[in-house]
Amino acid sequence: MDTFEILSQLCSAAGVSGAEGSAAEAAAKLLEEYGEVTLDNALGSVICKVGSWADGKPVMLLDAHIDEIGMIVTYITEDGFLKISGCGGLDTRLLLAQQVTVYGKEKLTGIVTSTPPHLEKDSSVAPDLDSVFIDIGFTSRENAAKYVSLGDRVLIENKAERLAGSRVTSKAIDDRSGCAAILKTLELLNGQQTAYNIAVCFSTQEEVGERGAKTTAYDISADYAIVVDVSFARTHYESEEECGIMGKGAMIGIAPSLSREMSDSFISLAEEKGIPYQLEVMSGKTGTNADAIGVSGSGTKAVTISIPEKHMHTPVEIVDINDIDNTALLIAEYLKRV
Amino acid sequence: MLDKLKDLCLLDGISGDEGAVREYIIDKIGDKAEIRVDNLGNLIAFCKGKNTPKNKIMVSAHMDEVGMIVTYVNSDGTLKVSSVGGVDPRVVFGRRVKIGRNNVLGVVGGKAIHNLTAEERKKSVPFDKLTIDIGVDSREEALKLVRLGDSVRFVSDFVEYGEGFVKCKAIDDRAGCAIMLRMIEEGVEYDTYFTFVVQEEIGLRGSTCAAFTVAPDYAVVLESTTAADIPSASGEKRVCELGKGPVVSYMDRHTMYDRELYELAFSAAEEKCLPCQTKTMVAGGNDAGAIHVSRGGVKTAAVSLPCRYLHSPSCVINKADFENAYVLTKLILDRTYNK
Repeated sequence: MDTFEILSQLCSAAGVSGAEGSAAEAAAKLLEEYGEVTLDNALGSVICKVGSWADGKPVMLLDAHIDEIGMIVTYITEDGFLKISGCGGLDTRLLLAQQVTVYGKEKLTGIVTSTPPHLEKDSSVAPDLDSVFIDIGFTSRENAAKYVSLGDRVLIENKAERLAGSRVTSKAIDDRSGCAAILKTLELLNGQQTAYNIAVCFSTQEEVGERGAKTTAYDISADYAIVVDVSFARTHYESEEECGIMGKGAMIGIAPSLSREMSDSFISLAEEKGIPYQLEVMSGKTGTNADAIGVSGSGTKAVTISIPEKHMHTPVEIVDINDIDNTALLIAEYLKRV
Repeated sequence: MLDKLKDLCLLDGISGDEGAVREYIIDKIGDKAEIRVDNLGNLIAFCKGKNTPKNKIMVSAHMDEVGMIVTYVNSDGTLKVSSVGGVDPRVVFGRRVKIGRNNVLGVVGGKAIHNLTAEERKKSVPFDKLTIDIGVDSREEALKLVRLGDSVRFVSDFVEYGEGFVKCKAIDDRAGCAIMLRMIEEGVEYDTYFTFVVQEEIGLRGSTCAAFTVAPDYAVVLESTTAADIPSASGEKRVCELGKGPVVSYMDRHTMYDRELYELAFSAAEEKCLPCQTKTMVAGGNDAGAIHVSRGGVKTAAVSLPCRYLHSPSCVINKADFENAYVLTKLILDRTYNK
């Protein structure tokens, strides 16, 4: 399937951390053709054993997270407005007057409260979650509570849309683009046997502390893991040394917490096959599911392969489709090695 | 009227670029009024009534909306913009925008939150630091898609939600335009001038000329005004509230409203049991500021829709207020034609 189409299907589904149901189902549907898919683990991650597993082969886990940044309802005011808390590290600078969807008994439109410039003296202060409410157009707590319960999730919706060239903007590109890259990897493998028993995990609750990956890594008990997440692509006010460059290929992770052996083989493979890549050097842990997977059970050799992304943790994230395709190509070639 | 409001709000027309809105209105009323477009782009519609009134009356609403304009293209292909009209940069950051005649999609973003210092996280991104990414990597590529001076518009859909609320961009002041469209389509008892004006948001410029041209005795300005009826504001800081009827002002930053018309509006509303409110702060301003001092002076009233989150991509009004603003405007006109 066309990469944009896969990404679009994945991004349009809702999956705020801890409430990944719709996104997990969308991903499960796309995974079905590659093997047996299960969703019935305690934390709700999507797990797929690819093809048929043979005895004696090492287990390779391909992981991307299925949850996305969002908000959660914590209180309903007397006049029917909602108070919220973050699920993951939302960029709160963009909250004011933002349209949101409240996933209550039904989907409700809400607007994040804001004071117009006519009345606001200081526009230099960034809003935070404590200073705003969500206006769902109800005038009393009683009426609002018919549709909204505490704990309901809230999302800023933005479906995938194409920008110029091969760029795409959407909510949840972090990390549905990782899921898309893994799906494309499986498409490229096309059922071919590899040296591994391959498991795919689209894990939940990464944004609140890599919890889904922790439990799935335990269940799968992999020998190796490739963790596909997004990383920072350079934007206008960032320096070259801080970020990767969008459109220049997957970012191969090098870090004390990762398997240097895997990082090195990815690099030499990319060189050998002429697949574009960049390096992402981290000095400790990686801030991805690789941290949890690496120390699961008696340990897993893990590497991060990251897709450059702009505006992380906003509803206007940007990714380059070519980067997703090149990430898939790189991982598929890695798995095909003898 | 709500359908027209939807059509009008979804059209793009930042100040100085109101063409699409004007075309739509001309299409709807071209055969129902004598229309002309002046040098600034104001649409002046003269609606012949069954009778000629004693006073020449002008009803006015503005076609333009706030937005931005492309001022520079960085070497990495991102765009710099300035605001057109009063826009809080915080309602621009993290949004989708449409740019120029080709409707190029762009997003407003910056450094990821992860890479900000604790101090930086507390600060909003000011206009001079906002960049728009359209998906290219160089100035050359960008200039194939956009030009300096291109209009930048909010992307915002029209949504009805909650207990009778409506959300869209540009409700300020397409709501006023929609009310005037309805009045023209229904026909008037007495001759009336309707002016759909340009450039309100950058300083009441269209109305300055339209009022000069029409030279009315009385004017009624249809607007949207700042409601802050949200939990973080209390008492007079709420200014006005949705659902409590149209707002008739006694004073704002540009106008001391004609006291007689002000009283007339409230007594008319009371007579017809129509909800009506005033603002509890002297804030904002509208075309009345230019109209009431036109030529030798014009007795002017403003009927405004209380609107939350004004000048953002998510303006919110209440449907009952919208209907009541239409009714109140008619009541005021009826009592003013032969005053």
